[in-house]
Amino acid sequence: MNTNNFWGLVGGLAICFAFPWLFLIVKPFKSEARTVAVSYNAEEREAVGLSVYPDRSTLRFGESDFGAKVYASEGCAYCHTQMVRPTYAGPDMWRSGWGGRDAAGLARETRPEDYYGEPFAFLGYQRLGQDLSNVGHRITTREEMHRHLYDPKSFDADSGMPKYKHLYKWSDVTGKYVPSSRAEALVDYLLSRKKDAKIPAADKRNG
Amino acid sequence: MTVQATEEDIRERALIDRSTRFPVLFFFTSAAAWLFVATILGFFSALKLRNPGLWDGCEFLGYGRIFPMHMIALVYGWALQAGIGVMLWLMARLTRHQLKYGLGIVAIGHVWNALVAIAVISIWAGFGRSIPLLDFPAWMAPLFAMVYMAMVVWVIPMFKGRRSGSVYVSEYYLVGAALWFPWVFITAGILISQQAAPTMAAASASWFVSNLIYFWMAPVALAVAYYIVPKIADRPIYSYQWAKYAFWILAIFSGWTGFQRFYGGPYPAWMPAASGSAVVFILLCVVMTIANLAMTLKDKTKLWEVSPSLRFTAMGMFFFVVYVCFSALSIVPKVQPALQFSFFLSGLDTLAIYGFFSMTIFGAMYFIVPRITGCEWPSAASIRNHFWFSTYGILTLIICLLVAGLTQGGYLSQPDILFSTSFVNSTCWVVGAAIAWLLIAASNLWFFYQLALMFVGRGRKSKGPTLIHSSGHGHVQAEGAAKTV
Repeated sequence: MNTNNFWGLVGGLAICFAFPWLFLIVKPFKSEARTVAVSYNAEEREAVGLSVYPDRSTLRFGESDFGAKVYASEGCAYCHTQMVRPTYAGPDMWRSGWGGRDAAGLARETRPEDYYGEPFAFLGYQRLGQDLSNVGHRITTREEMHRHLYDPKSFDADSGMPKYKHLYKWSDVTGKYVPSSRAEALVDYLLSRKKDAKIPAADKRNG
Repeated sequence: MTVQATEEDIRERALIDRSTRFPVLFFFTSAAAWLFVATILGFFSALKLRNPGLWDGCEFLGYGRIFPMHMIALVYGWALQAGIGVMLWLMARLTRHQLKYGLGIVAIGHVWNALVAIAVISIWAGFGRSIPLLDFPAWMAPLFAMVYMAMVVWVIPMFKGRRSGSVYVSEYYLVGAALWFPWVFITAGILISQQAAPTMAAASASWFVSNLIYFWMAPVALAVAYYIVPKIADRPIYSYQWAKYAFWILAIFSGWTGFQRFYGGPYPAWMPAASGSAVVFILLCVVMTIANLAMTLKDKTKLWEVSPSLRFTAMGMFFFVVYVCFSALSIVPKVQPALQFSFFLSGLDTLAIYGFFSMTIFGAMYFIVPRITGCEWPSAASIRNHFWFSTYGILTLIICLLVAGLTQGGYLSQPDILFSTSFVNSTCWVVGAAIAWLLIAASNLWFFYQLALMFVGRGRKSKGPTLIHSSGHGHVQAEGAAKTV
């Protein structure tokens, strides 16, 4: 390759970059964008109560989409991951509740389909706080979730999470702090974090 | 290829330096100002990590906002701007072209600074996206891409229209960096904005960060090293072949990196594996580069004591080696599960941006600024202070974050130990990081002051060609004696 001429250099660079660009990024992106739901068979449908996997409609409720924006704008993803690794890559599933409902035997690693329909998968940057992939199964009531945002140390004195007091406003009517619409949306979002749906037997996708 | 510079060469260089003066100085000073902002934000984010309860009720002082602000200011405000300044000057010098439209570039540079300011403020105000280094609101991404291209596109006509026959290896690195960044940035921006494939969007963001380091910062810094080291040593680079091979190794493998962060994530297993092995191949590039530079400097290492440019560049290259070695070590299957998502990896990011890239760029700045302003740095003592404060600061920062990462990872990999233990026992090390940021901030405030003095010291510019002789602080450069093409 004659790199002394400009187009030789640009062509060489383009060839070097085109391979990873196409095969590592663009093609996998397109194939993920074509994700299709797989039906449960009759037996599974009975047990799970769902008809297809992935079925995001059951996980979106309230203002969880707006809540995702609050989650992003507060920078939650800098401390919290939403990615449960299989056991070969880390002991995530041995932490109680991280992989999902352990008691029901549903704990598992996260798969691409689990993020189906979300605008962006907040896989995370660091793990300064707990993994939130299945926090909707660990903290199940709105009150408890609000308390967690308002005063995290009331759950664990060693918690490193700051209080998100600014999401709550003082109300003269009730004489106490009440959640703002942002806090309600964030709680909707957090309660919707349930990434342990049973995988249909018909689903042959590699997880 | 070292030949005596003729009178005409010297005059030509002076003209080139003069044509680049305003744009390059503009980028350098505004970058240095952003660097100071970034280090202060870095200090506050470290402080908040250690003491999360600090300023609890205040929405604008949360770690989740300060940390991304710090990263954006550090990368877009400091690293990219300083890198672009170096790129323009180096390309003009290497291709022996005067920089045209200098004032236009300065005007576009103002737009860039405004964009960075808007990005930082919008994260502060709560419009961040929690996407590392792409945190600004989505509508800003195309603007960043366009402004970047408007600033850097001038490198291409210079390279195409160069007069000297052979191409110096630094030019490859610069053209590569100039072209690769918009490609990666625009790809990541488009894929994220499509909102069609969430996990691949996350992957493309991580791919962008990794490529920013491996195929923007690394080539710009290596272009500097391949320029500064032969200049100071006053002899041609030891092996052009090695330098070329190292370039192509980097070009082939850097595009494959990025997934190593998401080992065990929701991707086919071959993707993180491919990224991990690409990092190992990049080690080869590092070995070749360092061997090449070391052979060039052979038995002239004494120059380290007198030349600030060489000293900073060599330190930057040292951190480059450390960075790539640690990156390669951190993806060994035995340790990766523990180190993933720990301070270790965020420490490595800081090592790349501050330790490796910035130190090399400081080296370039110490070389370039006297030439374009026509006056010498005001004092040798302040250069020494800048060097040692930065070096000790970055070493403290890195060691603290790496140890914090090991501690955190160790606790995280024992599921029987309460989760918060990993936080409590690792963040005590972050105190060191906070102190280190203060050291770095102090050194950079000093540097910014020196740069500002150079900036306003225009009255002291010499009449003739910018021939810098060794002055009081022992700034030895054989600029007039040798020309390394």
